[in-house]
Order: sequence, then structure tokens, then C-alpha cells
Amino acid sequence: MSQPWNRLSRRQLLKGLGGASALPLLGAMPSLAIGGQHAGHVVVVGGGFGGATAAKYLKRANPAIKVTLVEPAEVFYTCPFSNLFLGGLRDMRSIAHNYDELRQRYGVDVIHALAEDIDADAHKVRLSTGDTLRYDRLVLSPGVDMRWDALDGYDEAAAEKAPHAWKAGHQTTLLKQQLEAMEDGGTFIIVAPDNPYRCPPGPYERAGMVAHYFKEHKPNSKVLILDAKDNFSKQGLFTAGWQRLYGDRIEWVGLSNDGRVTRVDADNLEVETEFGTRHRADVLNVIPPQKAGWIADRAGVTDSSGWVPVKPDTFESQQVSDIYVVGDATVAAPMPKSGFCANAQAKVVAAAIASSLEQQPAPTAYWANTCYSLVGPNYGISVAGVYRVTDGAIAEVPGAGGVSPADAPDTVRALEAEYAVGWYNAICQDTWGTQV
Amino acid sequence: MSHSYRIKTALSRRKVLQHGAAGLGLILLSPFAWASEAWQQLDAAKQILNGATPITQGLTLDLPHVSEDGSAVPLGIQFNGDLADDDYLTDIHLFAAGNPQPEIATFRLNELSRYPDIATRVRLNETQHVVAIAKSHQGQTFAVSQEVRITVSGCLMRSEDSQTEPLTNPRVSVNQQVAAGDSLEVRTLINHPMETGLREDSSGERLPRHIIEQFTVRLGDEVAFEAELHQSISANPYLRFHLTPHQSGELVFEWQDDQDNQARHTSELSVS
Repeated sequence: MSQPWNRLSRRQLLKGLGGASALPLLGAMPSLAIGGQHAGHVVVVGGGFGGATAAKYLKRANPAIKVTLVEPAEVFYTCPFSNLFLGGLRDMRSIAHNYDELRQRYGVDVIHALAEDIDADAHKVRLSTGDTLRYDRLVLSPGVDMRWDALDGYDEAAAEKAPHAWKAGHQTTLLKQQLEAMEDGGTFIIVAPDNPYRCPPGPYERAGMVAHYFKEHKPNSKVLILDAKDNFSKQGLFTAGWQRLYGDRIEWVGLSNDGRVTRVDADNLEVETEFGTRHRADVLNVIPPQKAGWIADRAGVTDSSGWVPVKPDTFESQQVSDIYVVGDATVAAPMPKSGFCANAQAKVVAAAIASSLEQQPAPTAYWANTCYSLVGPNYGISVAGVYRVTDGAIAEVPGAGGVSPADAPDTVRALEAEYAVGWYNAICQDTWGTQV
Repeated sequence: MSHSYRIKTALSRRKVLQHGAAGLGLILLSPFAWASEAWQQLDAAKQILNGATPITQGLTLDLPHVSEDGSAVPLGIQFNGDLADDDYLTDIHLFAAGNPQPEIATFRLNELSRYPDIATRVRLNETQHVVAIAKSHQGQTFAVSQEVRITVSGCLMRSEDSQTEPLTNPRVSVNQQVAAGDSLEVRTLINHPMETGLREDSSGERLPRHIIEQFTVRLGDEVAFEAELHQSISANPYLRFHLTPHQSGELVFEWQDDQDNQARHTSELSVS
């Protein structure tokens, strides 16, 4: 992952040399800032793992690039580790991050507003404040939006009764309150979507975390997962871990056993499957099918799938030039829709944009990803992958990744649970730097 | 559970051709080259066409451009092409051009199932073209193909096989009342491993072929819809299709596998 920066080492070197010795060299680089000029304006829309990383690494690549980050929220809550909040292992503050370091240390202009529209021809972004930003390059890190038309009966109003909790924040605390208010002996139902969706192992980590909460506080309660798929991420490891820690407390019903939910009755906390089976929940968590965040539609970068096709080498949109898209919104498979991938993609984009503003070719891209999941507080499992561009498409490097061993002693699971915390701290430090 | 084909990241021959012949890009991209290639290079499809030039309008495949799980790729096929008033489609053949055994399924249609809008789930072992060929009662042929890129997301890696008992849990979802001449949506699902005969178990022994070969729907004494299934249909076959019944009667659904075992489901239909 440090590879994309190798060709920018000149800049790193400049920074390392310190201001005084670097100054004489600046004259030889006409595109760098001289007398108030900047090396190009990059607007970044979205301050999650993808957007915040892109803003920071653009500044690291070339401090003379003017970088404006547009993000409505002053505090960003991460989806990673929000399941640990549901399990009672963490509070919300521990997954909250702000933009102070991007502003103060890296000189990013952070505007807390909503990007309402994009005029790609004019290179302009219109904000909810009424202001318009003109960009040389645009980075979109729009995350996902729910497809409110996909499940009969599940709309934004229904999500207040049967939360998705698939964007961390209000929805997460709502679901936690419902779990706390539930009587012992109740059933918690998770409705899991078909691929592709944000965080493939997320629903199954959530099942384990809620089962942990039940085990400690509501020992007669159950978790039922109704799934629109027959296979899921780290399935064998999850299933074995559930059995080991929670016995039969977690039940999973896959697609081929009529697990696909097609109708939601949020008022009665009831769901109906494709072949007419009805399930009644005491707390209902519906994770609906998703698509790229809506601003991607406004920019014209989505295709008929609802996601954003990108050029693999640079993550520039295949459909609109000078717009780069990172994170869950993109079609980057076999890379999963994870915070780790968004962070890695953002570094590739920052390097590609810094190069293109200097009319230089983008450095060779490659990426890594690790998805840690907690089955219990001291029981972690993981899957890792390394990716590069092969024959014009992103491909996994054979033999470079893998999953946790199937038969491992508890000490290995406990270590992986520690690594998960280490991973979270490191990637948040790399992305935002500051914790609230 | 359905690891019958190893998922490869290798590009299809077609993709390689495209890249290898960058200078000829314009020729390869011309409608003629694109339209003809996928089914003209597939022996099974050529046999069905028997020299006829298919009409390329009217038959539509609905497939994702990218799928993260080649063991169950959702596939839809519709027909809205031009046919004479007294003509209708009799056969739709589906092929996965890049699978070791390309046949997916053949749907046999008749006047009760003459407005095809069919969905199922298929196995694609690598990035490849899916081909559909349809024939009408009066001998018209139609063809369409679409490329699907198969990737396996790192976070989607599986590490467990589950056992599926063959021909268990037949499920049917169908309205019990319909107006005469209206289209009736039918959904069916049954548990079956659909073992391809190409897969080895953990000790290296080849698992024998064991698939559902025939699915038949009757309304009263009349056959309303038939499907011949092959190895490229996903485990636990799912089928969604449409009927246009004109009279009430008992709907009988029958699945038959290659070991002569059957499963059956019935449902009363009232046509007003």
C-alpha cells in the first residue's frame, strides 16, 4: 500500500528536508504554490474512510494542492466497531471522529454542508449553503444509500421502527435502545441482503455481538438471521464461533431455505419471505439492498446497477472525466465494500490526482484489505486480500491473503480480537487522526 | 455447498482476444462481430440454430454485469419480440458458454406459458458469455447474449460445505385466484445439491453426478410449463415463470432427478 507513493518520493523528500532547504527548489517546479497560487483545487465530497483519507493524502502528496472537504456531519461515527457498541463492548464516543486534524495539521478546508448537486461539465459542486465550489478534480466518497423501493413496506419511516443501523449514528443508538428495552425471551431478527452491499461480514458480526449481549443480560433470547444469500463471508468460521460461544442461540436461514424476505411490516415487527413464511420479531433489524450514495447519481457516474464503474488503475469514473470515486459506492469487486478498501482506494486516488495535476502518469496501483470480525469479545476472525490490476481489471493476488484457520485454539481467536482493536485504532488514526 | 466449478480469476478467451488485438479494436467492436460471436462459437447453440440466422431483437437477458458469487448468479429471460398472432415461443435454451458443460436449461413453452418471463439462478465458473436461443412454433429463431464478470470478493470467501438433502422442501408460491387470460406469476424452490459430477470431495474422490433433470407443471391434464435442467443450474433450483390459465383446476408441480426420484406439490387454482 505504500507503493503508490514511491513515485511521489520527491515530495516526501521535500517535506523531510524542511522548509528552508526546500524553498530554493520550488522555483524549478512551476505548478507548486508560489505567491498565493495553488496547484489545483480538489473538492472531496464525503468525510468517511474514503473521503477523509483522500483529503489528507492529497495534502501529503502536494501541500500546494487546495483541498476542500464537504461533509455535513461535524462528528463521524464509523460503521466498523458499531456492532461492538450494540454488543455493549464500547460506547458511541469511542467510534466518533472529527476533522480537526485535517484542518489544523494538513490545511484541508473542511465545510460542513451537504453537496446538493454536481455540474460535471462546468466542474461545479453546489452546496446546501447556497455556495458553489469550482473544482479541477472531484473526489466522491458518497458511501451507500438504502434502496427504499426494494423490500415491500420498508421505507424511511419504517426504518424508525425497524432500524437498518447500516449507517452508524442515530440508527445505531435506536437499535441499541430497542435491544435494551426488549423483554428477556424475545427474538431479534436480522434481515440480511444479497450481494453487493456494505461490509459483507457485518450482519454476522452483529449476530454474534447481540448474542453476547443476550448471553449476559437476556439469556433466554434468540437471534434469527433471514438471509437473501446461500453463502456469506467467513461462514464456516462464524458458524463454528457461534456454536462455541452461544450454542443454539443464533439461527441462520439462507436463501434456499426460504430466507429471502420480500415484505416488511414495521408496525407489527413482522416480515414475510418469498415463499410466504411469516416471522415475528421483538426487535427487527432490516438491512435492505443498497446503492451508491445519491450524489453519485447527480454526478452521472452510476450505471444501471446503481453503483459506480471506475477505471481500475486510478478509480476515475468510467463515465465522467475528472471525477474520482472511492469506497462502497464503486464497483471494485473482488475488493469488498469495506472501510479498509475505501482507505486504500483513496490513497490510490490521491496519488493519481496529484500526478495528473502535474501532467504525470499515475503510479502503479495496488491495494490490501483485512476484514476483522468479532464473534465474541475475545474471539476474533479475519479475512485478508491483496489486489492489483491484471488485464485491465482488479484481481486478487493469488496466495497473498487468506482467512483465519478453521481449527485454532482460543488463544488465536483472542489474539485476533486484539488485532482487530489495533487495526481499528490504526486505520482511524490514518484516516482522521483525531478522536472526539 | 455449490462449489461444483472452481471460480477462476482468469479472463475469458473473448477478453484476451479483445486485449490482444487492441489495434483491431474497431473491427471487434462492430455490431457484426459482437452479435454473432457468442453463439456462433458454441456447438450446442449452433446445433439448435441449424444454420438459421437468429433475430437479435426481442429476447432479453437480465444478468448482473459483475457477480461476486459464481455459484448462484440471478438470471432473467424475457421475450417481447414480434411474432405472428397465431405463433408463440416453444423453446428457450440457455447456455453458459465458458462452463465445462455449457447447458444451463431448456424451457418448453406452450399456449399456457406463451409470455415467457422466467428467472432462475445459474452457476458461472468464470467470466463468460451467457447465451439464450429461442424458437417459435412456426420456426422463427431468436438469440441474445450477455457477458458476466465473475469475481470473488475477499470478504466473501467461504470455508464450509453444507449438506443438502435431495428433493426436499418443495416450495411453491402462486396466487390461488386469477382472471382468465391474466398472467399468473409462479415461484418454485426445492432443495437439491445439483452435484455436477465434476467435483471432488475432501479425500479426492469424484462425487457422482446427481441433478434434477426435469421439472413439469400441469394444469389438470395439460402440461403448462416444462424445464429440462442441467449442471449449470445452481444448487437448490429456483424458477420463477408465468402462466396464462383459462380454466380452473389443480396445478401439479413435479421435480424428477437422475436417480428416478420425484418430488411433487399441488395447489388449487381458481380462474374467474
